[in-house]
Amino acid sequence: MRRHFVTGLRANRINGLRYCAPLLWAALLAGVVGGLEVGGRTQQRQAGGEERAEQDYQNMTSGERAASTRAFLGLGAIPDKAAALRGATHFAQNCGACHGKDARGAMGPSLVTSDLVLTDEHGQQLSAFLKKGRPEKGMPAFATLSHQQMIDITEFLHLQVENVANRGSYKMLNILVGNALNGKAYVEARCMTCHTAETFAHIASKFRSPEQLQRNWIWPARYGTLTAKVKTPEGTFSGWLKQISDFRITLVDRSGKTHTIDRGPGVDVQMSDRLAGHQEIIMTLSNDDMHDVTSYLETLK
Amino acid sequence: MKTRAVFCATISAAALLSSLFSAQKVSLDPNTIGKAPVTSWPTFNGDYSGERYSTLTQISPDNLNRLALQWVYRITGVGAQRGAPVPIIKCTPLQVDGVLYITIPDHLWALDAGTGKELWHYDWVDHGGHLIGQRGVGIWNSTVFFLTPDNWLISLDANTGKENWRKNYADARKQYFSTSAPLIVKNHVIVGVGGDAMDMPGFLDSFDPATGDLQWTWWSTPRKGDPALETWPNEAASDHGGGMTWMPGTYDPVLNLLYWPTGNTNPVFAGQGRPGANLWTESIVALDVDTGKLKWYFQVSPHDTHDFDNTTAPILFDHPANGKPERLLVQAARNGFLVTLDRATGKYLVVKPYVPLDYSSGLSAEGEPIPIPDKDPSVGGSINIVNASNWPAPAYSPKTGLVYVNSVEGKAIYYLTDDSRNPSGYGGTVVGIGRAVRVLQAIDPLTGNTAWRHAYPNLNNAPTTVGPSLLTTASNLLISGDDQKNLIIFSADRGEILWHHELNANESGGIVTYLLDGKQYIVFGAGDSLYAWSLRQ
Repeated sequence: MRRHFVTGLRANRINGLRYCAPLLWAALLAGVVGGLEVGGRTQQRQAGGEERAEQDYQNMTSGERAASTRAFLGLGAIPDKAAALRGATHFAQNCGACHGKDARGAMGPSLVTSDLVLTDEHGQQLSAFLKKGRPEKGMPAFATLSHQQMIDITEFLHLQVENVANRGSYKMLNILVGNALNGKAYVEARCMTCHTAETFAHIASKFRSPEQLQRNWIWPARYGTLTAKVKTPEGTFSGWLKQISDFRITLVDRSGKTHTIDRGPGVDVQMSDRLAGHQEIIMTLSNDDMHDVTSYLETLK
Repeated sequence: MKTRAVFCATISAAALLSSLFSAQKVSLDPNTIGKAPVTSWPTFNGDYSGERYSTLTQISPDNLNRLALQWVYRITGVGAQRGAPVPIIKCTPLQVDGVLYITIPDHLWALDAGTGKELWHYDWVDHGGHLIGQRGVGIWNSTVFFLTPDNWLISLDANTGKENWRKNYADARKQYFSTSAPLIVKNHVIVGVGGDAMDMPGFLDSFDPATGDLQWTWWSTPRKGDPALETWPNEAASDHGGGMTWMPGTYDPVLNLLYWPTGNTNPVFAGQGRPGANLWTESIVALDVDTGKLKWYFQVSPHDTHDFDNTTAPILFDHPANGKPERLLVQAARNGFLVTLDRATGKYLVVKPYVPLDYSSGLSAEGEPIPIPDKDPSVGGSINIVNASNWPAPAYSPKTGLVYVNSVEGKAIYYLTDDSRNPSGYGGTVVGIGRAVRVLQAIDPLTGNTAWRHAYPNLNNAPTTVGPSLLTTASNLLISGDDQKNLIIFSADRGEILWHHELNANESGGIVTYLLDGKQYIVFGAGDSLYAWSLRQ
């Protein structure tokens, strides 16, 4: 079915979608698992002043993530990790006391954001500098180091730069900072109006990391979809929503048939959101409650 | 990554040939820039105010049914650029003397505005930098200025595309990159810079348009001896404190002041190494255009830890109050606050949230939002809003007295990934959570109250940065787009949809309008194509 939109008329605009309580169609929902996840993948995230390319961080391996961010940022040559590993020892022995073990600065400045390091190419400029030092500022010469040792140190420094500049290579810390007992109390008090214990049984084993668990208990997108009831002069159509704009709505009915309906005069759309309760949680959840619940659910392997 | 053997700009022989036969002669008197644009669109925002308002009325609510596509120019032959699989036009086109100038990173085209035919093409081979976007050019007399990803200011002959000179102003190896459109004011080419991966300080440069000589530099963070250093723990933190200037500012010719928005503080999410307000990042600053000296500042996000990157355009507007017009400035800031200031003094009139937010405990005596420390990114995660706006420019209509912005209402979990005492770079990451809805809002800048709002229905979450820079006209049009490829014209006073058309891609740059041979055009980029519309006869 398809009705043609009449230019200039917009009788049935939805002013700020009203999401109401979940209705029915549970069986139908089971058939569309993942519908929202696909949409979520196209979301662009903030990236320091510029938009980041579309990336699915959830589905990338850490290596892919790092490589993709590296390409996107136009970072320079990939540091030689073997050389950097050797260089770490030389750095600790010769440089760490002043510049810190990770070169982020101590008595001496951080080398990670140093102009000399950032503009160095494969140790050429830095090794020349290390041979002379900067005696007027208390930086001694390191003329006794072999050329290879100097190159290794510079590769170590370039790796520290990479670890900072390439945010696709960042690793989560241990996010389990909450109180599991408090989390259990929260779940029992707040979640059991809609859920049963079965929802939470072995929940932690379903996710590969605590941060995935945290994201998914707050927003279980794979179960979420919007449903809609569309009244038109030709009849009423119900089903799960494939897409909606100001001008068109596409839904799939119980039999699996797709209906695309142009929104015009006499077309009324009512929507309901199975995840309305979760959206409400997102708007009000305190950080402490979030940490506590995640720490509790993580115990349910 | 593309590789090319020769480090030089090239102009195709065919393009050169066509320009020889072209009758166009582009020349823009700098003294006329800043006046209401009628037959041209000579700056990023059309004029200096940032209102993106046109006095033209030929296209009006009554005749939108006659609006018809005149021509389309599609970018071909560029292909994938690193990090950007397809070309996306994110510039605001400039039109002077019948020639349109459009850009993507590394590329600039001059087109015949009447036909969309290519006149010439300038192709830059970059050596680094970030190819995320290019906002457009600046024009001074018969010279076009173009910024490259690796931070070269290129001066070109506006009629032939031949390079006059080039000047490098920042090192791409320090992760500085450029996307901005230069702003031309009198005998100044004002150039901003981006790049927040390596904790570099932001700055604004002013160059001589004839010679490329540097006239002044203003640093976004204080240098040795400046009292503002008190807002940083030490000089090294300030020297590495960010505050990029990557979007064009605005200018008041009467006060002779530039208004520039400054970007996020560095390190970005990990603020524990930089206690203090961290001036002048996350601010609106007023600078003397001839000297670069700071006249006043208003810090919209003191001690930012959310990448609130305060780069939305500061719009200048005059409010007739008690017979004496007030000279005001309004910004729909990315931190979710609408900010209205006296633009002579920087004193605030209105600072009020325009999206639901709960990260601020109130305003300081100066009107600056006070952040709640518990909302800072943390190891276990901290929920806060996503950026409420972004680089696509809002608009203001003197007719309705309303400022228009495509906002985003949504939340994210902000994680700290570096909890050391001396973090560097981003030091954290963000994961979106729940629904993020794009809402077009019309806000009264004198009260901060929303006059009307339109939530674009969409099953998918709102991308944070896609969407056009808006345009509003004296005939009560407000031109925008949704995230489903629809060009939409709203009534500016009431927010009613008057007309729409489905394109091949989302609008992705600025929407401009002008009269050409007596005909009003509406021109904008969507994906890899530039579209020109006007009324059918």
